[in-house]
Amino acid sequence: MDVKLTIHRFVEGKEWTQDYNVTVTTGMTVLEALTQIKEKQDPTLSFTCSCRSSICGACAVRVNGNAELACEMLVEKLVERYQTNELTIQPLGNFKVLRDLIVDWDPKYAELKKIKPALQPKADTSMETGCLQSPAEFNKYKKLAGCILCGSCISECNKNTLNQGDFLPPFAFVKGQKFTADSRDADPKGRLKAIVDAGLWRCFNCQECTAKCPKGLDPAAAIEHLKEATFRYGLADNVGAKHAKAIYDDISESGMLDEAKLNIKSEGFFAAGLRAPMAIRLMKVGKMDPFESHPVNPEIKTIQKLVKAAEAASKDEQGTGTVASGEPLIKGKQVGEVLA
Amino acid sequence: MAKEISRRTFIRGTAAAGVVLAAGASGCFSGKEGNKNVPGEVKRGNVTYDVLIIGSGGAGMRAALAASEVKGLKVAVMTKLVPTRSASTMAQGGMNGVTGLTDPKDSVESHFRDTVKGGDWLGDQDAIEYFAERAGKNIFEMDYMGYPYNRQEDGHFHSRKMGGSSHPRAAYFEDRAGHAMVHTLFEQCLAQNVEFISECQMLEISMSGEEDKKLNGVIAMDMRTGDIIGVPAKTVLIATGGYGRVYWVRTSNPYSSTGDGIVAGMNIGVPFKDPEMVQFHPTGLAANGVLLSESSRAEGALLKNKDGERFMVKYAPEKKELATRDIVARAIATEIEQGRGVGEGIHAGVYLDFTVIPPERIRERLGQVADLSRRFAGVDITKEPVLISPTCHYSMGGLEMADFKTGATRVPGIYTAGECSCVSVHGANRLGANSLSEVLVFGHTAGDGAAAYAQEHEYAGSQDALQADCEKWSKNFDEVTSRGKNEGRTVPEIRDSLINTMWFKAGVFRTEQQLREAEQELIALRQEYGHCYVGDSSHVYNTAYEQYVELGNLIQIAQAIVQGAIARKESRGGHSRRDFPQRDDQNFLKHTLIFKEKDGSYRAEYKDVVITSYPPTERKY
Repeated sequence: MDVKLTIHRFVEGKEWTQDYNVTVTTGMTVLEALTQIKEKQDPTLSFTCSCRSSICGACAVRVNGNAELACEMLVEKLVERYQTNELTIQPLGNFKVLRDLIVDWDPKYAELKKIKPALQPKADTSMETGCLQSPAEFNKYKKLAGCILCGSCISECNKNTLNQGDFLPPFAFVKGQKFTADSRDADPKGRLKAIVDAGLWRCFNCQECTAKCPKGLDPAAAIEHLKEATFRYGLADNVGAKHAKAIYDDISESGMLDEAKLNIKSEGFFAAGLRAPMAIRLMKVGKMDPFESHPVNPEIKTIQKLVKAAEAASKDEQGTGTVASGEPLIKGKQVGEVLA
Repeated sequence: MAKEISRRTFIRGTAAAGVVLAAGASGCFSGKEGNKNVPGEVKRGNVTYDVLIIGSGGAGMRAALAASEVKGLKVAVMTKLVPTRSASTMAQGGMNGVTGLTDPKDSVESHFRDTVKGGDWLGDQDAIEYFAERAGKNIFEMDYMGYPYNRQEDGHFHSRKMGGSSHPRAAYFEDRAGHAMVHTLFEQCLAQNVEFISECQMLEISMSGEEDKKLNGVIAMDMRTGDIIGVPAKTVLIATGGYGRVYWVRTSNPYSSTGDGIVAGMNIGVPFKDPEMVQFHPTGLAANGVLLSESSRAEGALLKNKDGERFMVKYAPEKKELATRDIVARAIATEIEQGRGVGEGIHAGVYLDFTVIPPERIRERLGQVADLSRRFAGVDITKEPVLISPTCHYSMGGLEMADFKTGATRVPGIYTAGECSCVSVHGANRLGANSLSEVLVFGHTAGDGAAAYAQEHEYAGSQDALQADCEKWSKNFDEVTSRGKNEGRTVPEIRDSLINTMWFKAGVFRTEQQLREAEQELIALRQEYGHCYVGDSSHVYNTAYEQYVELGNLIQIAQAIVQGAIARKESRGGHSRRDFPQRDDQNFLKHTLIFKEKDGSYRAEYKDVVITSYPPTERKY
């Protein structure tokens, strides 16, 4: 079987796409196809790779718009998934491209520094004796220690695409949650504060990071767990947390959102006041009535039971680490199938 | 080609064919400030590093943390990739170190003895004792730094028992011990603001002055701009990893393990110690050398030749598939050599048959092996056998560490640690889980050693000489990348010839005749390399030129392996001579030291192995 790879090229400011034909052999990964092109067809095609066993994180690229680890993704699998012999390969999204498929990691490392990215050892531990931790405590963060910094999670992150200035790459949240859940850490609150300041509540909840993580780490869940932790550590004095709390209160009390008050509860009277023009527009078209008493959902009893059950489940979850359900709802490799 | 890489030969005016020597050409810096990776000050040569570490694997980052503890020192880690992409991340099993937490009966003495025996008595026992004493301490330190150790009920980290160890003493994270180590060290480096000079390919270490004894700094290509930069440094710590890529597809090592630092060290007078000592793992996928874990055989998979014969019965009637790595690797190589393998050439192999293991157990315990076999060989191991063959796994040889208590080489200001170095702890054969602890112990030691040297010495190098070297490499770049297609074979073509020579004539088995042939073939390849075709003249991220530089290093490494192997007329550890199948302590209880002469040729010297506690006996398990 032959495939046509359309590769996005970028060399010294010049941008173009170039087609290459490759004969697919058994076990041919995207990386092997790229290597074959470089060695047999075009030595100028540039990409990075190192371990070829999906642990070093050097070779992530975008295929048909979705981040993949080139060294582990088989070309034939992509052909089957997308039902076509023509694949498009681009560098990872939300990175500055240096050349062809090679992206600049330095700004991302700078982002990592914002979250105090190292364990702060407790006072009663030492270099000589190490730390103590039970197997159950270890289990709470071990999965998150599997991040390989391949950058797949940020490639399709919608929030990062909109604005990278006030947010972090998803892998930074993964690292942040790893430390927050690590019983050896002395200052989870300090780190959490840094993570809130770096934009924790600005996540769009689009789940692209979770869908793309080749290690199944579920960065979106890590973000949710960090948000929960802000309540536990008394760091909920911000719009995002207040908004979440307002929704929680409305749902537990009446089973319905009180749109008129939601904004005031989240942003406070003054900031909400600045939104008056929008409120007036909403009132004009009958979308909001400030004088109407807030209705109560007739199924409120059931809803309250659901809230209780969710809270109980969440408590359990904190016992087993970030990923309560074990696996994300949509696994990275199946996204294409879902889309197709 | 060797001459292009040796600065001294250049200064003496005997530059290699092809390198244009015209002076006064354009400066080596393009003046672009767009790349923040290399600060402008560095580009202008205004910053002198106290400790410049080359390589960002476990050894490099551990050394950086140690050196950074000295306040006021300017320390940086230069890497041809970005941090966390190194071979260290691939280590699976764990890191050995006596802590007594899992097995209170374990002792430093036992670790010492196991390592001496594992290395077939070629390791230096004073160094091994030093190593065993410190390995446990470094494991505790990693806990304090946040290493995600698997735990036991009492809250301490758990240790597992690895092959060749008398006690469980390898602390670990799941089956990704190296990955966790690299990321923990990287986290610490980020927190301590260790400076990284990423994506810079070291081209040479520049020395000048009387007898080239004064260190100027490091010449590197900033991949992002193509600038050839000269980075002044008081000390250079080489931590660039092993040289398994000399066997290319027949290695489990990453693409980056090309021995760059070893060649750079040889060029300034550091000898390459025991180059012939290479470890082969028996079960690499025949398709691409990727490792199928040792657990395959432990779980009961059988090795069969093309006739379906379970051949291990012949080679190790008692232990069969469970014999040690070297015995199994040699048995497989023999079967293939004698025509009982499957397939041709470098991808020939024998069958590893899992079908005798219940599918549920394969799914449960050999998930990774099943996954790799399915992905790379298209084989469902629950239904059919997969083709495997030995694969180069580790380089015991490396730059001679002259003082294991400081990490210093015999060249003042030059330090080394990790797989690129030879202490020698591993001797002729490395034990599982000793590599990560070596990286920690000697990374730490060498970081301290280099920092101490930097504090005691002023920069005595010459910025002018550094500039001259930059210009030499700029011209090399221009000349090499502008060659036409019909001037020579391509870099990958020459590399494929190299690996065929190395695999078939200096691989698992070696004989005088084959090694002599290899020697001749390598001379021819080295000449051919002098006019090979690179095919990319762009200055920005020119990986084709980078691979050209790496191939040059691989050829020189290969020559040292062959020279060392020819001279060592015995079989010991990873080195198996068909014509000398026995270990010969009378004549070869000594280290090979390969020096590179000013004309590019190699000269061998020998140094006695240090024996302190354990006189050689037969190595039997």
